[in-house]
Amino acid sequence: MPASDSAPSPDPSTVVPPAPSPTIEPPKLTGAELKKQKQAEKAARRAQTVIGKAVMPPPAAAAGPSSAGLRPEAANAARGQQRRANAVSSSSQQDIPTRSKKSGSPIEEPKEEDKTIEFFRHLTKTKAYPAGLKGANKDVHPAVQVLGLQMSNYMICGSSARLVATLQAFKKVIQSYTTPPGNTLTRHFTSHVLSPQIEFLASCRPLSISMGNAIRWLKLEISKVDIDVPDNEAKEGLCSAIDSFIQERVTLASQVIASSAAEKIRDGDVILTYAKSSVVERALVQAFEAGKKFSVIVIDSRPLYEGKHMAAALANLGMEVRYALISGLSHSIRRATKVFLGAHAMMSNGRLFSRVGTALVGMEANSYDKPVLVLCETIKFTEKVALDSILHNEIAPADELVIPDGPLENWRDVKGLQLCNLMYDVTPAEFLQMIISESGNVPPTSVPVLHRLGNESQA
Amino acid sequence: MDDTASTTRKTSTISSPNYSAASPSFYEGSTTPPPLTGHPPGLNRMATVGNVPQSGAGGKSEAFDIVKTYHRLLAEDPELTMPVAAIEALIELLVQSRAVTVFETLDLVKTQSDYLKSRIPNSISLSAGTDLFQRYMISSLNPRSTGNFDAVRQHLLSNGRLFVSRAKAGRERIANYGRHFVRDGSVVLTHGGSRVVGALLSKAADASASGGNVRFNVIYVMNDARNSESKAVVSALRAKGVPVATIPEGAVGYAMGKVDLVMVGAEGVVENGGIISRLGTYQIGLLAKAADKPFYVAAESHKFVRLYPLDQFDLGFDQEVIKFTTEDEGEADEYGVKTPRVVERPEYFGAPDVPETPIEAVDYTPPGLVTALITEGGVLTPSAVSEELINVWW
Repeated sequence: MPASDSAPSPDPSTVVPPAPSPTIEPPKLTGAELKKQKQAEKAARRAQTVIGKAVMPPPAAAAGPSSAGLRPEAANAARGQQRRANAVSSSSQQDIPTRSKKSGSPIEEPKEEDKTIEFFRHLTKTKAYPAGLKGANKDVHPAVQVLGLQMSNYMICGSSARLVATLQAFKKVIQSYTTPPGNTLTRHFTSHVLSPQIEFLASCRPLSISMGNAIRWLKLEISKVDIDVPDNEAKEGLCSAIDSFIQERVTLASQVIASSAAEKIRDGDVILTYAKSSVVERALVQAFEAGKKFSVIVIDSRPLYEGKHMAAALANLGMEVRYALISGLSHSIRRATKVFLGAHAMMSNGRLFSRVGTALVGMEANSYDKPVLVLCETIKFTEKVALDSILHNEIAPADELVIPDGPLENWRDVKGLQLCNLMYDVTPAEFLQMIISESGNVPPTSVPVLHRLGNESQA
Repeated sequence: MDDTASTTRKTSTISSPNYSAASPSFYEGSTTPPPLTGHPPGLNRMATVGNVPQSGAGGKSEAFDIVKTYHRLLAEDPELTMPVAAIEALIELLVQSRAVTVFETLDLVKTQSDYLKSRIPNSISLSAGTDLFQRYMISSLNPRSTGNFDAVRQHLLSNGRLFVSRAKAGRERIANYGRHFVRDGSVVLTHGGSRVVGALLSKAADASASGGNVRFNVIYVMNDARNSESKAVVSALRAKGVPVATIPEGAVGYAMGKVDLVMVGAEGVVENGGIISRLGTYQIGLLAKAADKPFYVAAESHKFVRLYPLDQFDLGFDQEVIKFTTEDEGEADEYGVKTPRVVERPEYFGAPDVPETPIEAVDYTPPGLVTALITEGGVLTPSAVSEELINVWW
C-alpha cells in the first residue's frame, strides 16, 4: 500500500503544488490568474517528476513523499495524498481528459481527485470511455466501428449477442478484403487486418470470453486456409465457416439448452431468474408453450435494469411474472422452487462469471436450499479460473450509477467519494447444482472436460 | 427401399402374427408398424414399441418377450444385477432378431429398451444397462456399417457377452479395491441387500481368515419391510465370523458415534456423482456427514446412469412415500409410523402388468454427501462420475 510510504520525509522539491482544496472553496480567479496558476503547476509537476525520476524511479513512490512533505498541516492524511500522488504520477505520463463540464467552478487537471478505486484500478481503461471514432485506427472497418460503438453504449449487450454481432462484422471485413500482391491471405489477414479490428473492439469494451473463444477459432480457421486457394474461394469458405459456427455453437446450442431446461420445469414450479439471459428467456417461453403451469420471478438490479425487458416479454406472452429488485431477493427466494441463471462465462474451476448480483442470488438460493441451474453454451466455457471477482472483471463508467438530479449528481465534486460500477461477479461452484449446456447437463466440476471437448478439440 | 421392406418382413416373423399379416407396404422405410386400425385405441400406444410381440395382445405364445426374458434372467441368477440382466435380455433379443440393417437393429433395440423400461416400475438401474448397450451398439456399428452386416452383428453379440461377463467380474474387483477401506478394528455401518457391499465385506473378512488380522465389526441397519433380506445379509456376515450388531433405522444417529465408515450400495449412480439407492440411504448419508464419517458407495460402473435429479422428487417417477390423508390407516405398525408400502421385489417374481404396483422406494443421495465411489475401474470422487459419463457418451 503506497499509503504507508507517506511518512514525512525531506522533500527535494521546493515548488508547492496547490492544495487539493479548490474544488471545495471555489476560487474566484480571473482568466489571467488561472493561466498563471496553470503554468506554475505545470512547472512544478515537471520539476517534481524530474526530481522523482532522479531520486526514486517509481513515480508513485516519488510523488508520495514529496506531497507529504509539502503539506505540514497533515490534516488531509494518507488517503488524499495517495490519490493525489497517483494523479500527479499519471499526469506525468499523459493528460487525463477532463470529464466534468457541469460544475461551475473551474477544475484544474492536477487537482482533480482520482475517482478510480484503488482495488479495481487495474480494470480501469486507459482510453477514455466511448472512444468515438476519433481514436480509431484507420484500418478499422466501418462495420466494426459501428459495432464497437453499439457495444460501448450497450445497444448490443450480452455475451451471445456480442459474439454473433462480432462474427457478423468480421464476415464483412473478410468480404471486403483483398490480399495485397505478394502476400497470402493466411499470412496477411490475421496480423494486418483482423488484429486492428479486435483491438478496436477491445478498446470499446473488453472482449467477452465467448468472443475470445470465437476469435481463437477464427484465427485457427484462417491459418488452415490453403495458400493456393484463390482469394474468392477462401473468403467464401471462411464466411460459410463463420455462418455454421454461429449456427452450431450459438443458435442450435441455445435451442438445445432451452429445451433441456424447459424439461426441468414442472407444473407448479416458481422459477426465479436474475437480470436477462436470452437462453433463460427462451427456455421459459418454451416451457410455457409446452403448456407447463409455472410462474416466474424476475430479479433485477440497477443500473442496467436488463430484467425489465425480460419481465415485459414474458408477461406479454401471458406468463405469470413477478418483478423485484435485488434488494427484495431474500423475500422472493422463499417463493421460488428453482433458480435459472444465465452466464457470461463458466470458469474451469466450476465458478460462474455473470452479471454483478448473480453471486448474491446464488448464495441466497443456496441458503434456502433451492437448486440453481446455469444455462450456458459451451462457447462460453473458458480454461481460466476465477478465485474472486477482482482480478478479471469489467468496470463500467461510474456515472451510470448516478441518477440524474439525484443527490449524487455532482459526486465528482465530493471529496473522498468514489463510485464503483462493476459489471460481473463470480459465483462459487458450491452454489450451482447443474450446468445445462448443449452437450448435456453436467455438474460444475465437469466444465473443464466439456471445454476440452468443445472448444479445444476443434483443431 | 425394396430391400428394407423385405427385411422388415423378415423381422416381423419374430413378432405378432397380426403384424406380419399386415401389408408390407406399411413397413416401407420403417421398422415401426403403423397404428392398427380397427383395434382398440390402446393398441396405438403399443405400436410405438416396434416389432414386438405383445403378450396377451396377439394370442401367440412362443414369441420373444423382452420383459419375460428379463425377469427370467433375474430369477435364474440371483447374482445378476438389473442393468446386466437388461443387457443380457437385449443380447438375446439380438440373437433372435432377423434384422439385417444397422438402422433396423438400432431401432429394434431402442424400442425394445423403451418398452422394457415402461414395464418396470423403477427403471433407473435398468436404464443404465439399456442406455449403455445402445451406446455401445452405436459406436461399434456405425464406423463399419459399410462391411458385412452379419460379421458386425456377430462381433456385437460376442462383445456383448464379453461385456456381461466383465460386468459380473466387476463385483470381485470392487471387493478387492474396497476391502482396503475396512481397517483393523473398524466399525462399518451398512444397510440394504447390496451384493457388492456383501462381496466387499466378505472379502475383508476372508483376508482375516487367511492369516491377515483385519478384525472389524458391522452395524447393520435393519429394514422392517424387508426383514428376510436383512436377516440373510446379517447371517451371511456372521457365518464369516464378523460380529454384527443390528439396529433399527431410528438408531442410526445414535450409533454414528461408534462408526468408522459407512459403506452402501447403489441402484444407480447419477451424472453428478450422487446415488440412487434404497430408501434410507440419504438420511444415513446426512448423519454420516454431520458426524464427519466417511461415506463410501460400492457400485459397478455399469450402474452409471444418464439422470440428473435436482432433489428427491426429481427421479422421474412417483413413489408415493409421502401421502397425506385424513383417514386412519389400519396397517400402522407397532411404532405408530407407517413405513412406506414396499413389496418384495415384484419385478423378480412374475411380470407386473400394471406399472403402478408399489415399488421398492429409493432416495437420492447428493454428491456432497458421498466421500468416494468404489468402482471396478478404481476409486472415484463423485465429480469423476460425470467425466466418465462424458467420455462414454462423446
